[in-house]
Amino acid sequence: MALLELKNITAGYDQNIILKDFDLSVEKGEFVSLLGSSGCGKTTCLRMIAGFSEPMAGQIIFDGKDYTKVPLHKRNFGFVFQSYALFPHLTVFDNVAFGLKMRKMDKETIRHEVLHMLKVVDLEGFESRYPREMSGGQRQRVALARALVIKPDLLMFDEPLSNLDAKLRVKMRVEIRRLQQELGFTAIYVTHDQEECFAISDKVAIMNKGVIEQMDTPSEIYNRPKTEFIARFVGFENFIDLERTGGCEFKANNGARIVTAADHEGSCKGCIRPGDVTVHAAGAQVPNAIQGRVLVSTFLGQRNQLNVQTDVGEFVVSTDQNQVFPVGETVTLSLAANKIILID
Amino acid sequence: MSRTKNAVWLLLILPGTLFVILFMLVPLFSLCLTSFFPDQSFSLSSYFRLFGDAYFQQTFMRSIRLSLLSTLVCALLGYPTAYYISKFSRHKGMMMAFAVFPMFTSPVVRSFSWMVILGKRGIVNNFLVWSGLFAKPQDLLYNEFSMTVGFVQLFLPQMILSLIGVMDNIPDDLTLAAGNLGATKLGSFFHVVFPLSISGLVTGSVLVFTGCMTAYTTPQLLGGTDTRVLSTMVYQYAMSLRDWTQASVVAVVMIVATMVISSVFNSVSRKINPMA
Repeated sequence: MALLELKNITAGYDQNIILKDFDLSVEKGEFVSLLGSSGCGKTTCLRMIAGFSEPMAGQIIFDGKDYTKVPLHKRNFGFVFQSYALFPHLTVFDNVAFGLKMRKMDKETIRHEVLHMLKVVDLEGFESRYPREMSGGQRQRVALARALVIKPDLLMFDEPLSNLDAKLRVKMRVEIRRLQQELGFTAIYVTHDQEECFAISDKVAIMNKGVIEQMDTPSEIYNRPKTEFIARFVGFENFIDLERTGGCEFKANNGARIVTAADHEGSCKGCIRPGDVTVHAAGAQVPNAIQGRVLVSTFLGQRNQLNVQTDVGEFVVSTDQNQVFPVGETVTLSLAANKIILID
Repeated sequence: MSRTKNAVWLLLILPGTLFVILFMLVPLFSLCLTSFFPDQSFSLSSYFRLFGDAYFQQTFMRSIRLSLLSTLVCALLGYPTAYYISKFSRHKGMMMAFAVFPMFTSPVVRSFSWMVILGKRGIVNNFLVWSGLFAKPQDLLYNEFSMTVGFVQLFLPQMILSLIGVMDNIPDDLTLAAGNLGATKLGSFFHVVFPLSISGLVTGSVLVFTGCMTAYTTPQLLGGTDTRVLSTMVYQYAMSLRDWTQASVVAVVMIVATMVISSVFNSVSRKINPMA
């Protein structure tokens, strides 16, 4: 059974419904990311799990128990805030010790645990500093230590790296992943950064307008998106309506015959990334051929990008930089059969 | 570049600085001088005379006592009000307007209103007699009670405003973080909100305390002849007795006492929140 389950959750403020009939389940020891653009409800969902707000309807089940109405201070969940939310009037030591003091542990144990955790996040010797005397990356690690030291049953991250510069972001996400694998905690991670989220997670839930469009491993999402939204999200830019004519054989709107590696019942949509379409001279005899005319040619360094107008819509194609096609020229596109993904 | 920039800044602060020097520091300095040169030569005799005077001792202690009491009452009334307005109120602007509303009327008018309310036939006394709590109207006016009431009403807005200013800057995430780490609502208040708002409490207290120490109209109108405070005493020395030396001695004592107590407030706050 899943460690955490959200069932039919509805959440929002007043008239503004953000999540409707929302479901999510997280297994023990899993690192799950909620990915989506701002306003998709990912942070609302996370804050509700933490107990910062209550759902309007639905249930939160944790470890078999109903947690829907459990007050936040009784949940034993860790939370790493986007703003870090360190207590500015307390030293690093007292910040990290806060949760243990609230649990009324004895002084010696607290001291031992805090120093150990500061060592884990590589902040030895910073005990008596105040948060404002530290850099963004260091504060981030204090926040992490403070959340980890209480040995939370579940650790939540709300865009924890968004205030760091690019280099530090990559370093910290490796660090977070390392800690998670070392300590084995269950984590839910909210971000709008696709790369970050694919790098760090066991499973990714991509959210759109308050629902999870797809929840899978990063590679599954990357290679086999289930909806057009997800496909666009992970870099598919070309979509064609297809009608099934036989096993793995389809017909495009303009009558072109498309053969694919996968199969799909009835009519569907085929999608393909710009890099998986090749460009050939007009009339070339290539598999899955579609005729078109070059609209725009853009130089992108390593590659050229062509926008090609065809009978079945505009295609975005990425070509080798020495393969030059002038604007207005008629070309033949070839879609790699094993790279076409079929969706409803 | 920095030199011309500095010159511009100097020019900009010049008028304000001159104003303060001419109309505040110079008179203050001459006031001090007067108090130390009662007969053209330096002497502390005025101070000894004053501190040996039982009437002054009483007045001095009354000023300090009433100011501290009013500060305490303002803090007790103002803190929950400010906390509510800053963190829970849905109509913050309106609540703030209500809180500062008393500042729109003059202390004279307000003192007169209190005379009406607290007088022998005022609504408070009418209520006390009507409800049977007292057989006859009580003396609520022209004593320390009415003065404290006047002070509190006069300075409560200052306390509320300085507290709201500080509380607004405490991010909600901090209280959520405290709760998330296992603190109850009360716990996160005492461990997070209170220490972080202490600077507002101190600023408010200094404003209220100095205000009470220096207020003149309110103690003059709401106090009695046997409840003088330092400010009314200065007036008495200067205007009724024409003793400018003694008046300036009292004034200097007032300034020093106010400064000492304000700095005590500050050092207490630094103990509680060293980062404030």
